[in-house]
Amino acid sequence: MGKIRVLVAKPGLDGHDRGALVISQALRDRGMEVIYTGLRQSPAQIAQAAVQEDVDVIGLSSLSGAHKSLFPKVIGELAKRNASDIPVIGGGVIPSEDISFLLENGIKKIFTSGASTEAMANYIEELIDPKKESPKPPEKIAHIGIAVKQIDAVLPFYTDTLGLTLEGVEKVDSEGVKVAFLKIGETRFELLEPVNENSPIQEFLSKKGEGIHHIALEVDNLHERLQRLKTEGISMINDEPKNGAHDSKIAFIHPKAANGVLFELCEHNSRGEA
Amino acid sequence: MSENENNQRKAWENSVESVIKRFPERKEKFTTSSDIEVERLYTERKKDDTAEYPGLYPYTRGIQPTMYRGRFWTMRQYAGFGSATETNKRFRYLLEQGQTGLSVAFDLPTQIGYDSDDIMAEGEVGKVGVAIDSLEDMEKLLDRIPLDKVSTSMTINAPASVLLCMYIAVGEKQGVPLEKLTGTIQNDILKEYIARGTYIYPPKPSMRLITNIFEYCQKHVPKFNTISISGYHIREAGSNAVQEAAFTIANGMAYVDAALESGLDIDSFAPRLAFFFNAHNNFFEEVAKFRAARRIWAKLMKEHYKAKDPKSWKMRFHTQTGGSTLTAQQPDNNIVRVTLQALAAVMGGTQSLHTNSRDEALSLPTEDSARIALRTQQIIAHESGVADTIDPLGGSYYVEQLTDKMEAEINAYLDRIKEIGGAVQAVEEGYMQREIHQNAYETQKNIEKEEEIIVGLNKFTLEEEIDPDLLKVDETLEKAQIDAISNIRNSRDQAKVDKALSVLRENAKKTDSNLIPYILDAVKTYATIGEICNVLRDEFGEYAGI
Repeated sequence: MGKIRVLVAKPGLDGHDRGALVISQALRDRGMEVIYTGLRQSPAQIAQAAVQEDVDVIGLSSLSGAHKSLFPKVIGELAKRNASDIPVIGGGVIPSEDISFLLENGIKKIFTSGASTEAMANYIEELIDPKKESPKPPEKIAHIGIAVKQIDAVLPFYTDTLGLTLEGVEKVDSEGVKVAFLKIGETRFELLEPVNENSPIQEFLSKKGEGIHHIALEVDNLHERLQRLKTEGISMINDEPKNGAHDSKIAFIHPKAANGVLFELCEHNSRGEA
Repeated sequence: MSENENNQRKAWENSVESVIKRFPERKEKFTTSSDIEVERLYTERKKDDTAEYPGLYPYTRGIQPTMYRGRFWTMRQYAGFGSATETNKRFRYLLEQGQTGLSVAFDLPTQIGYDSDDIMAEGEVGKVGVAIDSLEDMEKLLDRIPLDKVSTSMTINAPASVLLCMYIAVGEKQGVPLEKLTGTIQNDILKEYIARGTYIYPPKPSMRLITNIFEYCQKHVPKFNTISISGYHIREAGSNAVQEAAFTIANGMAYVDAALESGLDIDSFAPRLAFFFNAHNNFFEEVAKFRAARRIWAKLMKEHYKAKDPKSWKMRFHTQTGGSTLTAQQPDNNIVRVTLQALAAVMGGTQSLHTNSRDEALSLPTEDSARIALRTQQIIAHESGVADTIDPLGGSYYVEQLTDKMEAEINAYLDRIKEIGGAVQAVEEGYMQREIHQNAYETQKNIEKEEEIIVGLNKFTLEEEIDPDLLKVDETLEKAQIDAISNIRNSRDQAKVDKALSVLRENAKKTDSNLIPYILDAVKTYATIGEICNVLRDEFGEYAGI
């Protein structure tokens, strides 16, 4: 597939094209070909330009409040030219209550003030090239990590009181922890004990005390997924996969991306191995 | 430096060195928004020139000898939406609330010289300001507002001459002598090409209309500010503070050059030139920008243009807080941003001020939000005490040195524009547009990389957003406005209209004819803004953009 071709257009009379120009350049930097119409384009002119330039997608920008009448007109003008297959997205100063109206009237997606250019570029790439669709959502919880001061001291609760099976204990040097795995159905508890002062678990214990530390999600294609999260602007603790227990590859998402919950993404080399 | 000072300095430097080893500073390099490096500490630096005083050349510390001890700045909130009648209600409300001047926002068709029933106006009527088609709308807009007491600022550029004439015509009907009318028309076409986009004609005839206005007003409406040379939109389009000041001053020089070329005397029009700046968040940089701009303009007018009248040397300006700094996320935070920006404008010695409403990133402001914005100014004026002495930041080691630094950087841009051949040439070549766009793009990248922190946008975000109440413009307004215009067309004396328009056309062809009296005659026959601008479109052509 060649370069994605985008028509960035300003319908209506407003002259605020900072957003349109910045987005045009950001999309160019992502390798797309961008045609910018300039100011004051009528819906007919925009549809005509889209057909002539054979674009893959149209991005409309409006800051004057005329979006409700002008955006649907662009859809109408495309239909007149048998070009309804060209998806139209929009942005600008658009009150949230207008968004559903625009979506019902054929606009694929509205990005409002504060949206990142990365998110727009990702959206366009997926829209045009469905092969690049989002990776599969995680299908199960690989384990729940629980920070403890001493594994030996808490183990009896899990093995005797709850009656779970201890699968094994191992040291993960990269994290400065000793871990114990207890199988529960499809998933596991992971008890984490710090082995030195610099261990993140030690830090967690001194700040928050013992308790649930993180939730690990089983995923595939960890490397690709991380790239993607990065471009979406999700804060990561680990940008690259690193070695975890059980010969797995892992990476942590920063808790600020998930309102205070620490998530681990975890990819196992060979499943079924305990 | 005395030996004692020297020792103190050394001791401090040593302690910095040891502290930094253990606790590195937040950033390796601190910079202002214009990428001027901010030093760790500013200390006294002996200057050769004599001390500067307010009200005295070069006016770095302010243009009046008593500044806000005499009178506060004019609190002027930009308003206008929907119909003239509705806007008139908002104006009278704001005047009752203690606002001291009016500021009219026009809708986009009016700003580009289209009638509400023009095909180009579809969907835009009354959206970002009030729709004015003919003198009748202007009469409604100013109903029961005494034009001899209230000064009115009109944000109008390409068709400024038409709106000015409508204002004059209403003044005449109210029985106010022309020499008593006060106010400002924006009338700054160069920044329209650069940043704001509501141009009609190409640069040359546009410059002619502007100098026609200068000449007419000097003779007949002497208290009207004939232009508001605007950096505001240049900044909103993405420039930094240095570029804002530099491009504005460069545009100002172009207007002065055009007026001189048309044969006007510098001191006959220069005192009526007004400026319009932005106030963003980098507090001290903004204050320094205002101080530096005043100093540069004074020097240019006195030394380069040889103006004799001290009134010609003074840069008077309006300030508006930065719309593009407001976030749609957590909109109440915007009240705090606006407060800081307004304070910078006051510390910078502004003559009038508009404070933005918290909800402007979401839609046009509601009455509640507009009131909080006005109250913000009133609190600064009446409660903070900052207006009780003149230029309170004058003498601050940092502010003084930053003022000098900005002066140098602004002058460097002015030199570059001079090399290109002046602001008109630079606009036609797209030089300023490119500079602004490049800076806008860098800013966006820095925000996305979190190198620039915007609270609530890329840090300290909230998952849930509350949807505030937003102002909605009545969708039936467009139809009502179109009906009104057809009533006017049916009820006026068409022969008079045709005559006035054809006289205007004849005079537009003669390049040495001042068009303002002919536009005034046409306005009085209830010719519409679209009809008048179309005559000039035929004669002047339309600007096509770059």
